[in-house]
Amino acid sequence: MATIKIDGREIPFEQGDTIIRAAHRAGIDIPHYCWHPGLSVAANCRMCLVEVLPPPGRPAMQLDILRWDPEKKDYVPARKPKLVPSCQQACAPGMEVLSDTSDHVEEARGAVQELLLLNHPVDCPICDQAGECRLQDYWLEHQRSGKRMRQEIVHKPKATPFGPTIIYDAERCIICTRCVRFTAEVAKDPVLSVRERGNLNEIVVSPGRQLDHNYTLMTEHVCPVGALTSIDFRFKARVWFLRSARAICQGCATGCNAYLDYDPRTNTPHRYRPRDNMEVNKYWMCDEGMLSYKRAVEGRLSMALVGGEDAGVDDALAAAKEQLAGHGDDPGRVAIVLSATHSNEDNFALLTLAKTFIGAKDLYVSGKPLGQGDDILMSADKNSNTRGVMALAGASSPKPFAELIDAIHAGKYAYVIALGAELEVDAQEAKNALSKLKGVVTIAAHEGPLVSAAHIALPACTWAETDGTYVNRQGIAQRSERALLPRGEARPGWELVARLGRALGYAMSWKTLAEVRRALSPDETTGVPRDAAERALVQKPEVSA
Amino acid sequence: MAKRTFGTNPWTKPGSTSAPPTKVIARPRRTAEVQAYLPEFFRGMAVTMKHFFKNTKEMVLGQKPDPVIESLNDGVTTISYPEERRPYAERFRGLHRLTLRDDASPRCVACLCCSTACPAQCIHIEAGEYEEGDPRRGYERYPKTFVIDELRCVFCGFCVEACPCDAIRMDTGMHATPYDSREQFIYRKDLLMEFTGRDGSRKTANTRHEPGDPTHPGLTREQGEH
Ligand code: SF4
Ligand code: SF4
Ligand code: SF4
Ligand code: SF4
Ligand code: FES
Repeated sequence: MATIKIDGREIPFEQGDTIIRAAHRAGIDIPHYCWHPGLSVAANCRMCLVEVLPPPGRPAMQLDILRWDPEKKDYVPARKPKLVPSCQQACAPGMEVLSDTSDHVEEARGAVQELLLLNHPVDCPICDQAGECRLQDYWLEHQRSGKRMRQEIVHKPKATPFGPTIIYDAERCIICTRCVRFTAEVAKDPVLSVRERGNLNEIVVSPGRQLDHNYTLMTEHVCPVGALTSIDFRFKARVWFLRSARAICQGCATGCNAYLDYDPRTNTPHRYRPRDNMEVNKYWMCDEGMLSYKRAVEGRLSMALVGGEDAGVDDALAAAKEQLAGHGDDPGRVAIVLSATHSNEDNFALLTLAKTFIGAKDLYVSGKPLGQGDDILMSADKNSNTRGVMALAGASSPKPFAELIDAIHAGKYAYVIALGAELEVDAQEAKNALSKLKGVVTIAAHEGPLVSAAHIALPACTWAETDGTYVNRQGIAQRSERALLPRGEARPGWELVARLGRALGYAMSWKTLAEVRRALSPDETTGVPRDAAERALVQKPEVSA
Repeated sequence: MAKRTFGTNPWTKPGSTSAPPTKVIARPRRTAEVQAYLPEFFRGMAVTMKHFFKNTKEMVLGQKPDPVIESLNDGVTTISYPEERRPYAERFRGLHRLTLRDDASPRCVACLCCSTACPAQCIHIEAGEYEEGDPRRGYERYPKTFVIDELRCVFCGFCVEACPCDAIRMDTGMHATPYDSREQFIYRKDLLMEFTGRDGSRKTANTRHEPGDPTHPGLTREQGEH
């Protein structure tokens, strides 16, 4: 493979790579603002300037400049090499590039920083980007000196709403146009543009429009500085207090990789951030998904319910034993409802209880109803683990919940053991049908129709409170990490299934997640080719741009 | 009894079988003068009265030397605390205060830099947004609650150093009053905003022009209707 040399280090590149892209892939960081690996090249911030040495035997391209001579106390003519933006310069075999080792590059970076900060207000204490701001980071790395301009800065509009989710601060904007390119290229809704030139320029929304498509929060995320802030997150938390867990978004079947940022001191989630995964979501997430972190704490079932009344988990298990008494006489009268919103581990536990211990034959699946989808990321299927449940059940493929209601009306079942709270059918209809039964036990993380219809409900952990595996619509099994501590009496779903099994007198011995995972080999139970599954499980996020 | 051997522990001395030697101290001589305590009593009273008259005279005539200067001399200095106080050094870190802007709004923007820097973790801040119509709404936040536990504070001054807005200072010149319950050491926003600097002024060292200040030049252009 052809290579280029950066600061003496040889790195390979692919046909058509720019210097910064090749460096980025090799783990060399060239400072940049306007370049984003997922967007087109604008080359307008000039932070990524590097010195490209001339080919052997050719003179370097030089610029005539005036340099201050402190001894003569005057400007004297001098020459310096012409630097090129590495985000735009294509690699050529044998090219030699100086980045950190060139004095000219060092000087240029400091000067670019000074220019960018000329009119930038030092809003850092109130700016929600503080702590993860490129200007702050690069100022420390490359400038560390004050600016020489003594005039009052150019004052531009502050706190301008762009739409229902985003607030814009023109003073902090460095006109890198990442947000403009994102809306045009990825969200395919070019509502943002730049107006004016020079130090008066600012980002505006198209006349008569708002920034209100499905990917507005991503513009905030691609903004390297604090010019765009999300209304949902601004003024809520300081990033240096947050910890990040590598989670899988539960908004739809796409299963975008995300960081769930949470405050460990208050056990509260604060935001989702996209986690780069080229096979699933590239660098992006949709608004609906980004805001769905709230489900980790909202509408929770934090106590067990017995007949609609709060109860302890132990009491509820005892009551469940009573309710389900007699189910063993005729396993054919037990219906099992798996959940497309719960992890493989939870569903696998329920499946084992049903098939191996109870001997139930009929499987149904519950989940959220279909919703809006698009051809960028969002799936119409709003359940995070539909593929996983289908693959787990294998040949005895689960039937939709609507068929369970018909079967109940036909008098086929007396007992239902269910996972999940969401139903795609009418809640009242489901309640009427389920109320005919002798025993309905639901294990769920949230309040919902299936919980209010149950005789006994057990509080499960959400995806944010326990580790779990989810299979997305492409069939990639992905692991989500625990972020929060369980609220109330919530316990992981598989653990509640195992305890329910033990309460019913079966020998379900699982005590740890590792034991469940050992029983659940990716090869046989998820239907995902092993290499793809494992690739996803161990996949390292790319260095974020 | 077998002699105990002490192992290799260097901190244990080998035991000894004989008792330590006893030191004999002689009784003080009881002279007639000491036995009849009155002469000693009057001698002691004379010293007390000498200081009493000297202090009274100095107080009445206003001749009392500066206790700071006097403390540099040999001997014992007394000051009549609390009427008389040692002046604190310029750099003395007293109780905290929160500084105000000209319009009496708190200068603090609830950035949490001070509470992050505080090694005693004694500052608690909850951020809030300004009311609708306020010039600072949407632009910056303010502390809805600002609490300092002065009993936990170690008076290191890190919070003052960390504050980017000159919003918290320890220049009140006051030191904590000895209250009798922990509750009274929990200083809240209102109290902290009432204190002034030791010269009684609220002058700021922050030269920044912020929206809402009369000095702010205003926006070059409003982003109005498109
Ligand atoms: S964008 Fe960065 S440099 Fe500018 S105010 Fe915000 S944190 Fe500070
Ligand atoms: S708002 Fe942010 S992303 Fe958009 S041009 Fe300005 S700095 Fe760049
Ligand atoms: S002086 Fe030190 S200990 Fe006291 S509040 Fe400030 S930072 Fe905390
Ligand atoms: S006192 Fe200063 S450092 Fe503390 S929150 Fe307020 S502005 Fe920030
Ligand atoms: S990153 Fe190359 S010019 Fe902005």
